[in-house]
Amino acid sequence: MAVKLQVSGVGKDYLIPVIDTVSFSVEAGEFVCLLGPNGCGKTTLLRIIGGLEPATRGAVLLDDRPVVAGDVHTRKVGVVFQEDRLLPWMTLAENVALVLKPLGVPAAERRAIARRHLGLAGLAGFEGYYPGRVSGGMRQRAAIARALAIEPDVLLMDEPFGALDAQNRRIMQTEVRRIWQQTGRTILFVTHSIEEAVAIGTTLLMMSARPSRLRELIRNDGRVERAKLIDDLNTMIMEEVERQQGGASA
Amino acid sequence: MAQPGGGRDWVARLHLPTLGVMLVIAAVWSLLSWRYGAYVLPSPASVVRGFGEILATGEVWTHTGASLYRILVGFGGAVGLAVLMGLAAFLSPRARGVVHDVLAVLNATSVFVWIVISIIWFGLSNWAPIFTTFMITLPVVASNIVEGVENVDRRLLEMGDVYRLPGREKFRSIVIPSTLPYLVAGMKVGFGLALKVSVVAEIFGVTSGIGYIMNYSREILETQMVFVWALVMILVMMVTDKLVFDAVSRRLARWR
Repeated sequence: MAVKLQVSGVGKDYLIPVIDTVSFSVEAGEFVCLLGPNGCGKTTLLRIIGGLEPATRGAVLLDDRPVVAGDVHTRKVGVVFQEDRLLPWMTLAENVALVLKPLGVPAAERRAIARRHLGLAGLAGFEGYYPGRVSGGMRQRAAIARALAIEPDVLLMDEPFGALDAQNRRIMQTEVRRIWQQTGRTILFVTHSIEEAVAIGTTLLMMSARPSRLRELIRNDGRVERAKLIDDLNTMIMEEVERQQGGASA
Repeated sequence: MAQPGGGRDWVARLHLPTLGVMLVIAAVWSLLSWRYGAYVLPSPASVVRGFGEILATGEVWTHTGASLYRILVGFGGAVGLAVLMGLAAFLSPRARGVVHDVLAVLNATSVFVWIVISIIWFGLSNWAPIFTTFMITLPVVASNIVEGVENVDRRLLEMGDVYRLPGREKFRSIVIPSTLPYLVAGMKVGFGLALKVSVVAEIFGVTSGIGYIMNYSREILETQMVFVWALVMILVMMVTDKLVFDAVSRRLARWR
């Protein structure tokens, strides 16, 4: 399969180095979950890949073209943030249709595409609702529908279910997995939940404590038993958390 | 009543306890009026009679119209400039600093300063109350807009960047809808202020308007007409609040 996304030697310093160097590549159609202790720069890495923030060093290639923060890339990137970031004064359908405007899609078609993707996200019948009138889970689903509507080359998701309760979270994981299977998009998914990553990802990336590197790349292809995988990952993350705390006090 | 409960709604709208308080006030007012005489305190009945008179002669429309015209020009101009200031504050942080400082100075300036200056500059003309109204309402409306512009959710703008919305689209879909409630709130307060201020400015130099006629009534010792025109002012204020601003606010809040 073709390499979709290439992250080579990417690092980021704020006042302190947050990401040391991280390199990996993602093939088209992969569902990659990014794991790591809190504060290790998962979100920062995702923002660098999405072109929302510049890297201090290294480069990100999307379909062999560099991603430059602030510049328009030839490939489309959809982002689902921790918050839904829907415009509260627009209906769910209008929110989705809005992001199709810059792509030059005619109005009637925009409405049809919005309908289709909201349907895909399980929101058929709610197209005319304002975000404030539906549940948090539904809003997050609408945000996912919006990201998918532009038919992104890569879909970046930053703890999209963080604000949801356990039940809604389970439902959404299944939904995203289903949407991924139906659309075959390449997905990069940041989460702090090991169970979530093991449940939905095809590839799991474990990051180390700050300044972070890539500690482990695991193919979640069912060859390792799920319970053992979760156990191993839990051990790794506890080691990293300890290292981060040790580093802070030293 | 056609609808069940409609009668009770109607009673609730009247604010019965308020009505009771007003009756008590009217009674005390009548007593005081009888004690001190109509020149100092005209009786409620004479005020009602006076109101009937200006309604019958149409005088109420002449002076209210003259005042409203000045308010609309002065206040309208203030809203226009306030929007431009908000736009500047949005586009450049440097402009925002300047706008903040200018508004701080204007906010600290007394109504009377503008009244005196406007008489010096514009003499005895319509432009004196218009200018005063403009200068007094500008900082109120502009402060609100600038605050609205500063409160535009950066995360929504970032979402706009992710989906490559052009600047114009971000402005139309994100900045304007989030600033509009601030503008309307500012206009509501600003209009109330405009009505109060323009009437004061009308005491000097013009020969029409609610402020002029109130002062004139005082001079010819028709104290009851002073009360009548005060009543007209209160009614104009309440009616615009209900008919214009409440309706606009409701329309803006339909998605909440």
